[in-house]
Amino acid sequence: MTVKVGIPRALLFYYYFPMWNGFFKALGVEVILSRNTTKGILDKGVRQSVDDACLPVKLFFGHVLDLKDRVDYLFIPRMVSVERKEYICPKFLGLPDMIRHNVPDLPPIIDITVNMSRREKNLYKAFAEAGKLFTANPLAVRKAFRAGLEEQERFHRLNHLGYLPHETIEQMSRGLVNQNYSPAQTGDMTIALVGHGYNIYDSYISMDLIEKLRNMGVRIVTPDNLTGTIIEEKSDELPKKMFWTLGKRMIGSAFHYMRSDRIDGIIHVASFGCGPDSFTGEIIERHLRRRRNIPFLNLTIDEHTGEAGIITRLEAYVDMIRWRRAAL
Amino acid sequence: MFGYLGIDVGSVSTNIVLIDEDEKVCDSLYIRTQGQPIKAVQKGLEYIRGRISDEIVIGGVGTTGSGRHLASIIVGADSVKNEITSHAVAASNLVPGVQTVLEIGGQDSKIIILRNGVVADFAMNTVCAAGTGSFLDQQAARLNIPIEEFGDIALKAGNPVRIAGRCSVFAESDMIHKQQMGHNLPDILAGLCDALVRNYLNNIGKGKEILEPVIFQGGVAANIGIKKAFEKTLGVEVIIPEHYDVMGAVGAAILARDAVRKTGTTSFKGFGVAEEMFEATSFECKDCPNLCEVIQIKAGGQIMARWNDKCGKWSNAIGEKKKIS
Repeated sequence: MTVKVGIPRALLFYYYFPMWNGFFKALGVEVILSRNTTKGILDKGVRQSVDDACLPVKLFFGHVLDLKDRVDYLFIPRMVSVERKEYICPKFLGLPDMIRHNVPDLPPIIDITVNMSRREKNLYKAFAEAGKLFTANPLAVRKAFRAGLEEQERFHRLNHLGYLPHETIEQMSRGLVNQNYSPAQTGDMTIALVGHGYNIYDSYISMDLIEKLRNMGVRIVTPDNLTGTIIEEKSDELPKKMFWTLGKRMIGSAFHYMRSDRIDGIIHVASFGCGPDSFTGEIIERHLRRRRNIPFLNLTIDEHTGEAGIITRLEAYVDMIRWRRAAL
Repeated sequence: MFGYLGIDVGSVSTNIVLIDEDEKVCDSLYIRTQGQPIKAVQKGLEYIRGRISDEIVIGGVGTTGSGRHLASIIVGADSVKNEITSHAVAASNLVPGVQTVLEIGGQDSKIIILRNGVVADFAMNTVCAAGTGSFLDQQAARLNIPIEEFGDIALKAGNPVRIAGRCSVFAESDMIHKQQMGHNLPDILAGLCDALVRNYLNNIGKGKEILEPVIFQGGVAANIGIKKAFEKTLGVEVIIPEHYDVMGAVGAAILARDAVRKTGTTSFKGFGVAEEMFEATSFECKDCPNLCEVIQIKAGGQIMARWNDKCGKWSNAIGEKKKIS
């Protein structure tokens, strides 16, 4: 029987799943994902987690609970840093510990530490450690690591073509990895949705933001559609380096999109209680007002499921863009 | 002559207006919703029917506010629009040239920036409802003064006290504390007005360019204390339009007129709906772990509408039926 490794469908899943999946698959390990977020999963997570965590972290707890009884291992890497001199939010750093100490009856957790702030080679070291659990052959681990990187590159390539990460993951799971055309999006305006992947692509906690906008005739682009080079270049405009990688992605992409003629508006999605989100929104709004007069909307998502508030804001926002255009 | 109805179903009040072809407000109503939006709409229609002149034929109906979908099912609306758009439409039609709209309602507050008659920017309170009408209502009730007198009492203040306005929970404990220290009522109420305005401008008005003419609308505009606090803080004159408390409904009526001009017909069901028995129930769908709380509206034993299901199974089932019949 093959060994089963569970990966929660939350948080960095939306950034690194292809890498993890490619790595484990190459080692002959079966990867089990938690189910799509439902009210049940969120409720369980909220009940089990520490109460001052942000909503996405609470949701992660729910996904762990959904998985824990049907896998042999849980894969919860300790993501400290993925780029030189930059860091991921401290809550991600302590994630394996938070889970271990708050959730009873867990299978063993694979909590390799990914810390590339000083040396990029540390990434391989981390995966090699995980690989040792499944094979004694260092060559097989090396091969699996490369397979993971390849999958991750395909993922980025498809995202840069215009697919959104959750769509890309879905496509890759169906084996469609080699197309080289952009997805067809219909609509009469394009809005940049700037937010953390785990907030905007999870259709339950985002209250189906992307589909709602698409149904209103809006084409969506996100930070994930941009290459790392663009993000890097644009975020460098800040007087001081932004050392939160995820926040930097939001700022860099917003700076890029606010210059593009193809973009009609920027929506910033923040989770309530997120420190970096509270200032990325602020920085983006200030720069936007200085540079170009395109509409900006700040949406805060939290546990409330009343959709009326979100719909009102989105409708008014889209109306406003159409009005402004008609008045020109 | 044609008249157009606008219905704004808000959290605290339900407003109905009747306008004529030229956007003149012929009649307006302000009813407390009291948690029963259907009853409030029916009661409002009943009143309007009693007061409407025989010459006027209803040419269209528009709904807005957080209960807009519910109201649209009941009356058969021609346009269903969010309250931001409705308020902006009303403001730019009734006060030509307006550049800033401050709006404080029962549970939300917003700012709308207009330039050349078009919405250029807006903001709405996020997860917090501090400093909206319901909070003032609550505090007035606690102090045992009618909300109508709130503003006038606040104007008598000689030396407004400083009250924390960030959060309504803290504001309340701050107010109680100040009372126990012996500050007089007018000073406390004026302090509350200042705190509310400060919070509004920090929170919602953040980064917005507030240019004259500035108008202040929504139920809270009845409170002269808040108006004065706005003028003091902004240093500009704040205009309160004649129909400040029903502007959302006016906007809805204007939008309905525009919608009917395009389609040529109205789907208004007539004033008879005031007597019809509507029954709103909800149930938890257990078919998947989402456990959606589905709401359904029944009239005469027949289901008229269902919503709030994520997958659309229940709401679509109704739509199909409509198409067949």
